[in-house]
Amino acid sequence: MASMELYRRSTLGTCLEATLDELVNQAAMTPLLAVKTLMHFDKAFEDALRDRVTTKATIKGHLHTYRYCDQVWTFVVENAVVKTDNQEEHVDKLKIVAIDAKFGQLASR
Amino acid sequence: MASTSAAPPASLEGNEEVDAEKHPSGIIPTLQNIVATANMGCQLDLKAIAMQARNAEYNPKRFAAVIIRIREPKTTALIFASGKMVCTGAKSEENARTAARKYARIVQKLGFPVTFKDFKIQNIVASCDVKFPIRLEGLAYAHQMFSNYEPELFPGLIYRMRSPKIVLLIFVSGKVVLTGAKQRDEIYKAFENIYPVLNDYKKQMGPAPPGALSPADAQARVAATSRPSPSEKPPEPMRIQQ
Repeated sequence: MASMELYRRSTLGTCLEATLDELVNQAAMTPLLAVKTLMHFDKAFEDALRDRVTTKATIKGHLHTYRYCDQVWTFVVENAVVKTDNQEEHVDKLKIVAIDAKFGQLASR
Repeated sequence: MASTSAAPPASLEGNEEVDAEKHPSGIIPTLQNIVATANMGCQLDLKAIAMQARNAEYNPKRFAAVIIRIREPKTTALIFASGKMVCTGAKSEENARTAARKYARIVQKLGFPVTFKDFKIQNIVASCDVKFPIRLEGLAYAHQMFSNYEPELFPGLIYRMRSPKIVLLIFVSGKVVLTGAKQRDEIYKAFENIYPVLNDYKKQMGPAPPGALSPADAQARVAATSRPSPSEKPPEPMRIQQ
């Protein structure tokens, strides 16, 4: 049942967490409901990425650091160019955190 | 410069300063890989190392060591929980030692009581090019004791020299790989031993028709037919276990 909490640190995830915190603080929501919402968010994010997103991105740059520990890959790419279908973004430093998609599926079951 | 050696050296093509005493062939094999081991003398927490060190990989399900790479000297190290390490990829003995020291330093910086001991070079691999094609069949036949040539399995001839104890991979193209050395002089000695042999089995180039025998080839065939084998048994081709 546990999904990856990987996407909670995305803009969408942090915003949701902030909102839920606020609601809990105002006693408009129970903490349990907030936690459940976040878990639902994890699942929804994963499902959406898997089933609805068809855009492909390519990343080019100089690999500064990599790490593989506990089934998690971490890459730091310098002078990275991220290309999606219709746009190109340049960043000085890009951090990629990746886990095996299968691992995510197993975890979400 | 080659006045002292009997065989004239192969064309140097701009390679200057070849010690003719040590390299009568005029060719110096290039070191390609050195594998060395060292002991850091303390138990290590591999997970902590993998989490903190850069360019580290640790997947205990597949392999019981942390794999770390550094860029200068460009090498890879396997670091085990016992504190032992294997450092590969260096191109010279000095590089191998420097790299092994750097890995020990990385681990030390993560808070382990590291010492650097028992550094030892385990294997040296070198390669070179004699710049002429070689008749591997002829060579394999004449040096059966040392040769294993099975072109359907591997295109190179595997030559196990007894002294120095070095394994050579010899290819039709004239490229040679030497491995199994603990010291670079063993590589050099092995190459100087094999070079005159390779010269004897030089493939004759030029307008000769495909079926024609070169003088050396013809000699080899005569030798082969006139006298079965120095030993009692007739020569037997290498058999493959089916």
